[in-house]
Amino acid sequence: MTGFVSSYLPLVELAAFNALLAYSQYIVLRAGVFSIATPAFAAVGAYAAAILSVKLGLSPFVGVAAACVLGALLGGLLSLPLARLRGVFQALATLALVQVVMSIALSWTSVTEGALGINGIPKAVGLEWFAVALLAVLYLMHAISISSIGRAFNVVGEDETVAVSMGISVVRHHAIAFVLSGLLGSLAGAMHAYSSYSITPNEYGFHMLTLVLAMVVLGGRVSIWGPLVGSLILTGLPELLRGFENYRMVVQGAILMLAIVFLPAGIVDTAIRLYRNRKVAATGGVEKGAVS
Amino acid sequence: MRKFGGLTAVAGISMDIPPGQVTGLIGPNGAGKTTVVNLISGLLKATEGTIRLGERDVTTADAVTLAKAGVARTFQNIRLIPHATALENVLAGFHLRERTGLLANLLALPAARRERADLEAEALALMQAFGMDRWAATQAGNLSYGHQRKIEMMRALALQPKVLLLDEPVAGMNDVEAAGLAETFRTVARQGVAILLIEHNMRFVMSLCDRIYVLASGRMIAEGEPDAVRNNPHVIEAYLGA
Repeated sequence: MTGFVSSYLPLVELAAFNALLAYSQYIVLRAGVFSIATPAFAAVGAYAAAILSVKLGLSPFVGVAAACVLGALLGGLLSLPLARLRGVFQALATLALVQVVMSIALSWTSVTEGALGINGIPKAVGLEWFAVALLAVLYLMHAISISSIGRAFNVVGEDETVAVSMGISVVRHHAIAFVLSGLLGSLAGAMHAYSSYSITPNEYGFHMLTLVLAMVVLGGRVSIWGPLVGSLILTGLPELLRGFENYRMVVQGAILMLAIVFLPAGIVDTAIRLYRNRKVAATGGVEKGAVS
Repeated sequence: MRKFGGLTAVAGISMDIPPGQVTGLIGPNGAGKTTVVNLISGLLKATEGTIRLGERDVTTADAVTLAKAGVARTFQNIRLIPHATALENVLAGFHLRERTGLLANLLALPAARRERADLEAEALALMQAFGMDRWAATQAGNLSYGHQRKIEMMRALALQPKVLLLDEPVAGMNDVEAAGLAETFRTVARQGVAILLIEHNMRFVMSLCDRIYVLASGRMIAEGEPDAVRNNPHVIEAYLGA
């Protein structure tokens, strides 16, 4: 029994890591910011944590805290030049950041050990800490969604002209979204570093970028459960499809495409919308909890 | 005055929008009426000229500053969040009333929760006043055109504005619905709000406005009380052609 559970433990930890990454991506999309910088934040967090513990012998708590602060700062800094960009151009700029961070990780060998990566990171994070982090992040997402910030994100992301006409500062809320995204991304990176003994630069490149985006698009961009569902599915799917061997990626790609074509709002958001419409039709009137 | 590249959209305009009155702005399509509203609400910067709010010069103020100063507007083409509920759309207008800080909201502290509940109750009361509370939980995109216009109205009123700019608020409504809104505008104006009304519905404008400005091809061609404007030959010419 313990053999069965323990053999799946790495997969569950991976799912938790992916979920944290997904929330970093989710929060910027919620505010209408087309940033795909999450892998860069994750890399910064992972390397900060690894370097502080392996090279300076500091406690993992310090490592995680430092990673979060660095991530938030990087996010905040990023929001300044990106304040004038929108849509595709924001995406390209953040993609460039991911490349830059990867290049730094590869070339700054004295600090990052280059392509070899950093090894021997203490295993300080197990399933319990991932669970704690995930619960904390879920609470944060919930708090945002029921608060003025979440409402402002909705308007800013939907129609900037309306937002400023209501006195909602687009610049300020984009900055908040970037800071949160940075913090969450780096938190994910740091926790991953402490749970997987070693990190290498190429983990934080294009593959992670598309995976992170796919998790949010598949799970749902509005409901706070979207990223979690998306990460569970996209982490578990490769395992479930092991039987397909070489065709695994083909099947996974096909499933993803079908999901996006038939459920463009994502799984969770589509389910919620169907449920809500049915409820309003049945009662035909005011429903308790009219605000999500 | 506002220029777009080499094209002068509006020029030589002098308008006074006093509180407690409904001021009308009419003119043929393409006259520049929405440009004027965009200039006043801060979405466009004037190339030349001054805009004053009371004693305060707000010519260079941006939209957020003006919203905070009490300038609210509705849009010619309805701009709601279709996938959000009617109540959530109205709540968007309550943003400036929120006092709890960023951290309190990020942590969902009791103060933030209480404020949210209070604002939701106020929004619902506003919807009740408009007879729209039964649609509070419906997605705004699923509501009828007339209802959507009302949501836009409520959202603007939620700002408790000093100046209310209405860009074709009754377009597409029947006379009964329009009459209902006219009563609302009169009530709001009586409370001391300065209302600028842009409309094509002549009957509506003539019956509601205390003073009317007429715009054609970006220039003011007439101003005055409804009867004077109605009989003004320049106005007739602008609408019907020479």
